[in-house]
Amino acid sequence: MNVIETERLTKSYGSHRGIIEVDLAVSQGEVFGFLGPNGAGKTTTIRTLLDLIRPTSGAARVFGIESSADPVAIHRRIGYLPGEFALYDRLTGAQTLEYFANLRGGVDRAYQASLVERLDLDPSRRFREYSKGNKQKVGLVIAMQHRPELLMLDEPTAGLDPLVQQSFFAALRELIAEGRTAFLSSHILSEVEKSADRVAIIREGRLVKVDTVDALRDLAHHQVELRFSGPVPAAEFEALPGVSEVQVDDHVLRMRVSGPITPVVQAAARYELLDFVSREPSLEETFLAQYGREAVEVKSRVS
Amino acid sequence: MSAEVGAPPVAAALPAIPFRHRIYGFGSIYGKTIRDSRLAFIIAAGLLGGMALVMGLAVSSVFPTPAARLEVDKLIGSIPASMVNLFGKPVSLGTLGGYMTFKYGAIFALGTALWSILALSSTLAGEARRGSLDFVAAAPFGKRRIALEKLAAHLTMLGLAMAILAVMTTGSSTLFGDAALGDQIPLLSSVGFALWCGFLAVFFGGLAFALAPLLGRAGSAGVASLVMLVLWVANGLDVGGIVVLSPFRWTADHIALVGRYDWLPLGLVGIVAVILLAIGVELFVRRDLGVTAGLSLPGLPAAVLGVRGPISRAFGEQVPRALSWGIGLGLMGALIASLVGPMASQLGKDPNLSQTFAAIFPGFDLASTGGWLQLYAELLFIAAGFAAATFVSKWASDETEGRLEMVLTTPTARARWVIAGGVAALLAIVVMTVLFAAGIGLGAGSGGVAAGDPMVGSAALGLYAAAIAGVGIAVGGLWRTSLAAEIAALLVVATYLIDLIAPPLKLPDWVHQLALTAHIGQPMVGAWDPVGIIACLGIAAGGVLLGAWGMARRDVD
Repeated sequence: MNVIETERLTKSYGSHRGIIEVDLAVSQGEVFGFLGPNGAGKTTTIRTLLDLIRPTSGAARVFGIESSADPVAIHRRIGYLPGEFALYDRLTGAQTLEYFANLRGGVDRAYQASLVERLDLDPSRRFREYSKGNKQKVGLVIAMQHRPELLMLDEPTAGLDPLVQQSFFAALRELIAEGRTAFLSSHILSEVEKSADRVAIIREGRLVKVDTVDALRDLAHHQVELRFSGPVPAAEFEALPGVSEVQVDDHVLRMRVSGPITPVVQAAARYELLDFVSREPSLEETFLAQYGREAVEVKSRVS
Repeated sequence: MSAEVGAPPVAAALPAIPFRHRIYGFGSIYGKTIRDSRLAFIIAAGLLGGMALVMGLAVSSVFPTPAARLEVDKLIGSIPASMVNLFGKPVSLGTLGGYMTFKYGAIFALGTALWSILALSSTLAGEARRGSLDFVAAAPFGKRRIALEKLAAHLTMLGLAMAILAVMTTGSSTLFGDAALGDQIPLLSSVGFALWCGFLAVFFGGLAFALAPLLGRAGSAGVASLVMLVLWVANGLDVGGIVVLSPFRWTADHIALVGRYDWLPLGLVGIVAVILLAIGVELFVRRDLGVTAGLSLPGLPAAVLGVRGPISRAFGEQVPRALSWGIGLGLMGALIASLVGPMASQLGKDPNLSQTFAAIFPGFDLASTGGWLQLYAELLFIAAGFAAATFVSKWASDETEGRLEMVLTTPTARARWVIAGGVAALLAIVVMTVLFAAGIGLGAGSGGVAAGDPMVGSAALGLYAAAIAGVGIAVGGLWRTSLAAEIAALLVVATYLIDLIAPPLKLPDWVHQLALTAHIGQPMVGAWDPVGIIACLGIAAGGVLLGAWGMARRDVD
């Protein structure tokens, strides 16, 4: 069952681009990463899904409900963290959490307390006294404290220190293990890489790629570095399938390998090597490599 | 592998910033501050210049014949100062300059000072609170220069506005005045009047500027406004020893529009203003950027903060403003109500004096205490309207400050949020009105005046404020919350101006009827106009409902 579905979802702000014909489907129980640079349309997509803004054309459904038809029914089942937010300056963290809990008709106090403890939040201070990271913690607890069926988190780890990030992801994993769904928007690729099952990449308002994290990784190249004891047989490696950008520096051979790495390993085995380094591609590198090509395709389609 | 290290690249010379951008635009702090204050300048200069222009028409309407003017002039000496000085010193009342000084002089000065207070309290402290001042302060010049450039920009705009006021005043007297009756106001007189307004403005603006590094934007503006009102009232009603601190008292004999100049005290006001500005600059330079002590007001109990639901939360946000406005208006009401008894009885004993006042303030029975209270209430309608605009602003801040997304993604419908905010704003108006009525009651009681009608009549302020809030919430719901309070405030100004200029300009009656305050009757004397009550309630409730309907149909900003 798809928790989120969009069909040719388009939002324009007068002459400004918002999002253009975005087709998405997010299944129940998955962590879906929504990646793109600043201004790509991530927040516009989320706000349209939540009926905070209305689509210019196309459709957005959450839990099978048209987002603009019954937004309250959707909101009852979601938890949301905006990318940028402010809360009530004069309320303490505890009072802020209590207010949002009340708006939902109450929450499990023990779970709320456990989130506060795990995120290391001091709830006795007024909101205006919090640092950026602590404000983010308040927002995260508000989004998670009622154990929503769907978490929509826009840049959830912004401002959090690494230890708190770990605690957050642990809490998120627990919710997912219970069959809940998460939609994470981010431009920090490593955080999505750690938690997401599938990833969508949006650029200039258009969806350019939707795939599993593993599939994206497979698309990536390997950076291979071989240190020979003797002369470097560069020509032999240049002829191998998938090998490009071959560089020789004294006894070191560096190359970029797309696709299977086996031919390079087999070729290297015929020589005496002092060292063999193959670096696993990060999603970030994949993202950047993939991005360029897809962006060109998008532009050519548009023109 | 090695990299060759050469000489650091030389940056290409940047093009010079055009001079015009340094004085208006993004070429300097001064230029940008000038640019940022253009709207406030247009409003202030437009209002002040416009009011000066209609004065020429007004005086010919109030005193149409030479005989009427002579009669007024003869009575001037018999008017007790304590009765009228809240407006202005009554000198040559039968001339345009005398009439303008007496009836509207204080309004010109207070309005200009309020602009200066708002501008100078926020020019540094407001930017510090937003966080943008950190970027400016990180630029390669000192904090003193930042403060001085911002200050110079405001003084430039104030000077321009005062120049417009002077030109319009002389222009008005030339176009509409009767020179044979002494209406002609030479440019020197107009400049003297504009300097009086401007120096008083810089005096109180300077106070706000000096306090801003310590108290922040809101605290400094609040304290400076309160000091201004207290010193104005203290001078007008000759209250207590603090009157010696009042620049209104120092310059009481500077009645430039009738050719009476008292430059020395005016210079003293200017010197104190410069000292206050210098204190503000030095405090800004010496203190940590954006770190203010604030006003140590007692915190509200948790129960009042309201975390149970949307209405209680919205009301919890409004409570401090409601208390501030209510206490301020209540104190003013108490002071006025305690003093109107002797004024009314004095007029009651002297038919000639009563006739004079009836000509200057047509429609008010100033031989009764209720009539005096009604006269003052006309001024307080502006305050009540602005209070409503601030309640609208607080409601709107949910959206403008980014809280609304989190509220609306709970199971709270948009219409419910608007209605909750509207109800909370109306409750805040109730709190403010009750405090005002209590002040009126206490003052009337202490002055031996019947308190019944005035206390009930105080509700008129609340009704008017509710209507203004309704309009603001409708604008916020239908269009955008970022403009809701501004449009509500503009409506208050427009209502006041229509009420002010429609009768003397002999505009069609329907124009005057556009002002909501023209329909409220004289509730301080127990004369209510049901049409006005229904209109106010209808606009208040309708505005909230219209806002709820509109909000459900537009994008959240």
